[in-house]
Amino acid sequence: MEIKAEDLNRVEKKDLFASGHRACGGCGQALAARLVADAAGENTIACVATGCLEVFSSPYPDPSWRIPFLHSLFENSAAVASGVEAAYKALKKGPVNIIAQGGDGSTADIGFQCISGMFERGHNVLYVCYDNEAYMNTGVQRSSFTPLGARTTTTPTGNKTRKKNLPLIAADHGIPYVATATVDDFRDLQRKVKKALAIEGPKYLHILAPCPLGWGHTGDLTVLMCRLAKDTCIFPVYEIVEGKVTNVQKVPNKKPVEEYLKLQGRFRHLFKKGVPTEPVAAIQEIANQNIEKFNL
Amino acid sequence: MLKQIEGSHAVADVVALCRPNVISAYPITPQTHIVEGLADIVESGKLDAEFVNVESEFAAASVVLGASAAGARTYTATTSQGLLLMTEVVYCIAGMRLPIIMTCANRAISAPLNIWNDQQDSMTVRDAGWIQMHAEDNQEAADLHVQAFRIAEQTHLPIMVCMDGFILTHAFEPVDVPDQKQVDDFLPPFKPRHIVDPRWPRGIGLYADPRFYMETRYILHRALEKSEDTIREVSAEFAKAFGRNSGGLVKPYKLEGADLVIVTMGSVVGSVKELIDRLEAEGKKVGLLQICSYRPFPKQEVYKALKDKQNIVVLEKSVSLGRGGVLASDVRWSFPRSDKTDRHISCFVAGLGGRNISIDDLRFMVERVEKEPVDLEFLGLKKDIIAEKDL
Amino acid sequence: MEKLPLGLALDLRNVVPYKTGSWRTLKPLYLMQTPPCSHSCPIGNDIRGFLRTLADQKDYEAAWRVLTRTNPFPATCGRVCPHPCEDGCNRRDFDTPLAINSSERCVGDYGLDNHLEHKKDVLTQRKEKIAVVGSGAAGLSCAFHLAKRGFKVKIYEAEHEPGGMMRWGIPAYRLPKEVLSREIDNILKLGIELECNTKVGVNIPMDQLTGHYDAVFLGLGAQKGVSIGVEGQDSRGVFTGVGFLKDVHSGRKVQLGRDVVVVGGGNTAMDCARVAKRMGANVSVVYRRTRNEMPAITAEIDEALEERIMFRYHTNPVKIITDDGRVVGLMCVQMELKEADASGRARPVPITGSESVVPADTVIMATGQDVDYEGLDLAKRENKWVSADEQYMTSIPKVFAGGDAVLGLETVSAAIGQGFRAAMAIEDMIDGQTEGHLARPPVVFSRDLNTYYYQQKRRFAKEAIPVHERLKSFNEIYPAFDRDEILTESSRCFSCGLCFDCGNCLMYCPDNAVKVTQGGGRYEFDYDFCKGCGLCVKECPCHYIQLTLEK
Repeated sequence: MEIKAEDLNRVEKKDLFASGHRACGGCGQALAARLVADAAGENTIACVATGCLEVFSSPYPDPSWRIPFLHSLFENSAAVASGVEAAYKALKKGPVNIIAQGGDGSTADIGFQCISGMFERGHNVLYVCYDNEAYMNTGVQRSSFTPLGARTTTTPTGNKTRKKNLPLIAADHGIPYVATATVDDFRDLQRKVKKALAIEGPKYLHILAPCPLGWGHTGDLTVLMCRLAKDTCIFPVYEIVEGKVTNVQKVPNKKPVEEYLKLQGRFRHLFKKGVPTEPVAAIQEIANQNIEKFNL
Repeated sequence: MLKQIEGSHAVADVVALCRPNVISAYPITPQTHIVEGLADIVESGKLDAEFVNVESEFAAASVVLGASAAGARTYTATTSQGLLLMTEVVYCIAGMRLPIIMTCANRAISAPLNIWNDQQDSMTVRDAGWIQMHAEDNQEAADLHVQAFRIAEQTHLPIMVCMDGFILTHAFEPVDVPDQKQVDDFLPPFKPRHIVDPRWPRGIGLYADPRFYMETRYILHRALEKSEDTIREVSAEFAKAFGRNSGGLVKPYKLEGADLVIVTMGSVVGSVKELIDRLEAEGKKVGLLQICSYRPFPKQEVYKALKDKQNIVVLEKSVSLGRGGVLASDVRWSFPRSDKTDRHISCFVAGLGGRNISIDDLRFMVERVEKEPVDLEFLGLKKDIIAEKDL
Repeated sequence: MEKLPLGLALDLRNVVPYKTGSWRTLKPLYLMQTPPCSHSCPIGNDIRGFLRTLADQKDYEAAWRVLTRTNPFPATCGRVCPHPCEDGCNRRDFDTPLAINSSERCVGDYGLDNHLEHKKDVLTQRKEKIAVVGSGAAGLSCAFHLAKRGFKVKIYEAEHEPGGMMRWGIPAYRLPKEVLSREIDNILKLGIELECNTKVGVNIPMDQLTGHYDAVFLGLGAQKGVSIGVEGQDSRGVFTGVGFLKDVHSGRKVQLGRDVVVVGGGNTAMDCARVAKRMGANVSVVYRRTRNEMPAITAEIDEALEERIMFRYHTNPVKIITDDGRVVGLMCVQMELKEADASGRARPVPITGSESVVPADTVIMATGQDVDYEGLDLAKRENKWVSADEQYMTSIPKVFAGGDAVLGLETVSAAIGQGFRAAMAIEDMIDGQTEGHLARPPVVFSRDLNTYYYQQKRRFAKEAIPVHERLKSFNEIYPAFDRDEILTESSRCFSCGLCFDCGNCLMYCPDNAVKVTQGGGRYEFDYDFCKGCGLCVKECPCHYIQLTLEK
């Protein structure tokens, strides 16, 4: 489906994810959800998984969604969205945007089965993952998206494994569109949402959404964290269209990973006196690999 | 039309006649033929529906949840392990008041692995808020599905139609499969109560904090209690429209003047009726109370039917390990505390894991309880292979 | 309480949202701050205002109106001001400061080209009359602001034409006389009376003014040239700096020799040197310290060097050597610099035995200027400058003063600023207004800004005509600027301390608590929902948002 350039590039500010939600001040996920909902527009159904987003946005009697939303369980937003899509097809209703949303767990861990099934079956659903790099809603426990070295309540001395690369896994399912984005570049994020919704088939959008509480920084630095994640090449921003990596956001002024890590409480233990520097070097190595792989 | 047809396929044909919009199920023995039958019907174009081949029962239940919330008439089927895997979603569906129909092809639960019939699986989710109905034979299994869509859409409660795995699903019996017009006349188009649709924005699946949660459970409990009326009405209307007695809350058989009543549900009813007929020829008066609607448990009907009976034996294919018979507990509870008669309610657990229940076994059971009441006994237990010292 | 809907499925159209504003401990406020350019400007021009008007509305007339609210001499200042605004510009710490001076000139020239006229601030005419003595920068500025406030003003000017040092001191290649005259005429069009050839204190006594007017402003300037006292300075061929310039700029014939030595390091010395160069002479400048200590503005010194004027540093005149009453040379001694003296600059000490003679037939002593107090009895400061208090009032009641006469030798802009503030002080005195005015909001520094959103962008570069062309005439060194280039330059302005609708706060609030104000492009906070997280404060590029403690 063609989308006009002026529609694609217009910044959207509506009130489809309204005020009154109970997110922490400065929450990256709330910001991302707001931007996604506005970009998608009123003709959208949101299938939300249990997690911070659902808990702070859908209490009875005052949810903050103004587009219809459907929440059932933690791990099945992709399957529920598949059902909604199948119903619209069977009832010959629509067209409508169906966006399944979830965090780390609902996407990559407990929800991995459902998202893989949805991709494989080819449903016309956009899956948006809000990556805050741990199970934040239950109290900052480690997830498969937790980066190397990060302290969480279940990895108190630092996470020992590397982050699972779900965008590439999604692309390997053969879906037509995959993209990564951050909340600091809202134009880019909204453009990607609109572009995805104009494509038929399963789409995956991976958004880095900093969590001030879990990452250990004040709420006003959320946007700065995303910027640093990009500038240190820890989080590359790119699209995968029909299986080919494209539109990589190059980083002309690369920064060393310390500039990003030092500002977050969850990495503070790496900089204590007497602590070996290998973990930080390992994280820098990950950044270097990103630079090479994506030609940042 | 009367057909000699495998139980699963009868169900598949009848479900297709009910015009579901979205079907999603994951194959598990012994439900596979239902799913395959429906896939065939959809692919051949006989039914205009979306058939979603999912990656697990959990996904299947989630897909029908989503589809039902979007306004589609939906159907799924499972059993045993699959039902347990989708338990989360089963509770969710009831809480959201989505009228989803599921066939449960009752099968034993691991471990140890056993693919043959007992009713432990549907028993496990009896508290979820679904209406649970048990079919006596393949005709009733087919008929119950037609009634179920109507009951569900009227009461806004999901319904699990239970049919004994292999015994019913894989048996070839004559079944009168109705035609499309009969079903269309009986089953009006689905008018969902609440859907996700951008034209009327609604939130479905909000969370309820302590201020509200208790009331939602109370409402569900009352809704289930109230649905007894609808179950009764729909069964009566079905009888009028199709000319046969299926479904309903309970079905008595030769209760008049019976000294002993067997209370049971599911396919074993056939064998029990056979025994009762034989005993009647021998001069013994034994009766049967078939429980058709297990949830809501029709305690008033049960009490009404049994209040003058002194000797009752409950025969069931499930056990609450560490406690005893499940159906027996429910039957015992049907009698009010003020009831002070000298009543004996015995419990026999039988047929677990597909163990055959022969007429001789049933006769043995009758003779046992005629002598003395039995709190709990496992019918036909092979004591010689049990190491009492090494439990 | 509402009954629970079936299955808890809720209609989203009538939801009453929960007011999360109650969580707040810090509260964001939109607060205008002072940009460092306005803070550095002696006039206090709304530089941000006129630059953003150019950038956002592309409207030169509107920009002219903003600028002339405070400064009636944009075309003049855009040519002669040493632009302290650019030194303060926060963009200096990101890439290069804004070319404010060039933008001001372009706006001023637009005003002249399109005959834009000043408008009064008030509709009613006031009955009070004010006299202004001197039509230099300070006097004209004071008259302009008083006339705009509705007062009746009359200027008494000693010379035959208005302009003060702007006309008599600043050469035409820096400030064409026509530009100056037209800007002055524009000011006078507000209904200000001008009487030339009338020197107050000589032609009319001061008390005639104090008796007849409700207030008097003295813009006397410091136009009396002062020599350092060198033997032979009364010979033919010796001039004072201001005397030489005044003669040239009045059109009088000046007997200039071929080898000119200019003594001094200030703007007047530079002007004298460069004028003499254009008159065909070989010019050198003699100064007792080095370039670092010269008080002249940087641009002047640079341009003088470009024009091949020789600078002799560490050199002080000792004696003017004459032959038959005419100058033939200047004997100078070399100086060395010792520790700082009272002015804060290194103290020059002559090196004995280092005398030498610079051949010259003309010596211009641009070594100091004094106020002409003829016929005036005023209290002085340091025995040189007019003493005025914080309200610009002199020792004579209702007589105010400002400009070079009060500050010592300063710039045109400083004088305009003084005249402006003296006008406000006069109005306050007449109105009996004793309470002070609101202080300006604090200044925004570059560390307060978030410059992430900007790209480095080339600064507007003004092009000068080649040196050999310059020296052929008194034409302007910098020809007219391209208006579109200036519009592009103005878009580099960071708008420090004032919103320019970037929309960051609107888009970044996770709680949707920033709303577009009804009927306008600006924003307001929805305090019912704002949680005080401070994201808006961090992401505002221009520091327009600040956090305060919630009560």
